[in-house]
Amino acid sequence: MNSSSLSRCTLTLVGLLCLCIAGCSSEPRKSSTVPNRADYQVDFSGFWELDYGQSDNIQVNLNGLVRDVQKQNRQRAQASGMYQQSSGGMLIGGPGTTNSGASVLGLAQMADLVTQSPLMEIVQDEHNIKVKREEDFALTCEFYLGQYHTVETPLGKEICGWNRHQLIFKMVLPEGLTIQHIMSLGPEGKWLNIATTVTSDRVTSPFTVNRVYARYEPTDDGYSCKQTISRGRVCTTESK
Amino acid sequence: MHNRIKVKTNLWRGCCALLSCLLALAAAMARAQAPIDPALVAIPVGSVNLRVERSTPEQDMLDVGLAIFNPGIPLDEASHSILGIFPEIRKAESQFMPVLLRQVLLASGAWGVVRVLPDEQIISELLVTGKIRQSDGSRLELAIEARDATGRQWLDKTYVDVASALDYPATEGSDPYIDLYRQIANDLLEYRQGLDERELRTIRQVAFLRYAASLSEDAFGGYLQQDEQGIYSVVRLPAEGDPMIARVERIRDQEHLFVDTVDEQYVDLFDEMAPTYSLWRQYSRDQALYKEDYEARAQTKERIGRRGTFTAMEQTYNTYKQTKIQEQDLDEMATGFNNEVAPTVMEASGRVFRLSGNLNAQYNEWRGILREIFALETGLPAGS
Repeated sequence: MNSSSLSRCTLTLVGLLCLCIAGCSSEPRKSSTVPNRADYQVDFSGFWELDYGQSDNIQVNLNGLVRDVQKQNRQRAQASGMYQQSSGGMLIGGPGTTNSGASVLGLAQMADLVTQSPLMEIVQDEHNIKVKREEDFALTCEFYLGQYHTVETPLGKEICGWNRHQLIFKMVLPEGLTIQHIMSLGPEGKWLNIATTVTSDRVTSPFTVNRVYARYEPTDDGYSCKQTISRGRVCTTESK
Repeated sequence: MHNRIKVKTNLWRGCCALLSCLLALAAAMARAQAPIDPALVAIPVGSVNLRVERSTPEQDMLDVGLAIFNPGIPLDEASHSILGIFPEIRKAESQFMPVLLRQVLLASGAWGVVRVLPDEQIISELLVTGKIRQSDGSRLELAIEARDATGRQWLDKTYVDVASALDYPATEGSDPYIDLYRQIANDLLEYRQGLDERELRTIRQVAFLRYAASLSEDAFGGYLQQDEQGIYSVVRLPAEGDPMIARVERIRDQEHLFVDTVDEQYVDLFDEMAPTYSLWRQYSRDQALYKEDYEARAQTKERIGRRGTFTAMEQTYNTYKQTKIQEQDLDEMATGFNNEVAPTVMEASGRVFRLSGNLNAQYNEWRGILREIFALETGLPAGS
């Protein structure tokens, strides 16, 4: 090695080291910048009830997933020269431990589980949204500074924010499970679509189910309630 | 050949030296960026007995002003939920905590009048200010500073106290973090006991003359001087029986009347808020402990079902769901706290005489009126 190539080597090494230092010294980011301007925001506020007729049928979507997985398996087998005509039935088996029948079916069952709320109440202002879902926890998001909001706990990571007129909630959970809800509003704000995608590292294709909600007006009971600390829930006859 | 080896050796040495420098630089940057853990700086006060002075000579009893604490709410609203800060509760705490410190200072018997002030600009013989660094059911951390009227700093310290299960439920009149307040009171008393009679007298004289100069710089500015450190000292004293002094005293009494009215409101707020606040802290501590415990158990819990199966995924989701529900219960409680206490806080800051605006604005308006009265009486230009 002559001196010039040694110099080049040195420079490369120093460059790499500088990059490494720059990488090490930058703080872990909690949010990433996205086109998240207020004018994209849609108001989802209100009361919503699930419209089963307009929503996806899980069984139909499951059939689609099975077909996808079979197709992928065939393509993989053909590529490796080991193609055999499938005998039909519930295959499946993919690379390694993926695409077992239990995993594919499990993905569909999970999608059903996380989209079962029949009623929702959404409270939204300029910076916050709270999607209260019956029989499940509320999806919440803070949207400040045009950034995706990230919250990490030992049990999972949540990322949420606007993607133009759609609001995205993503949960990255342990054991390779990811759940993503994308909310969008239909014409005149009468319908709300939630596209839920469940992904598992044991199935090579994600599973998506669309749930459609229709607006409804809750009946005025003639009283209003508020939460307090010392007296619990306190109701008065003053209507909402 | 020999030269080439020499070049190579020199290059290699240069390269090594550069690498060492860069590595040292990287290490220094890492050290510089490592956040300082406040827990390593401030040690919990532990169990503290309040030092009580049975017979303090009246001339040693300084009047104390406790400014409403800085609630320590970061401007970046996005950080509130990450830091577990509920802004409305913090605002209420910033008014609640000085009143509790006032009670402890009065119980020590070592001080004159102790007032809770809406503003730290009000001239006091001893002014105590504070910032809430952390406040929840398990831990309280306050940064406290105390300065006398001459500008001398008595305290600049961070106090920490931790609550245990034994501290809850807090009985009426007690507080889970009472030891922290006692420690502040003890530190203030210790400092004051280190001052001699002449120094205490000077503090009182400076407090009065600074107040007088705030009414009329022309008439009273010459009595004081300030050194490079900003410490005031008395150059000369007004003549005994000076009618101007009597006027200043009267105006100051009027100002104290306002401050005392405000102070009463803070005490009312404290009394009304105390039971709810106590419950909030207890519940929030229980919630935090449960969540911590649940998360620890969930991480070590034996997995049921093979990875990727519905049983395994359901278990993962339900564990997450459970912690989310806990977290959201805490949010609901904070809303409950606000529903119960916030109207009182608002009422407290909107009820003084017929002045408008918040307490600070009201105080400034009142001070302006008093200065105008003083200027009319004396014919001197009004002070700031």
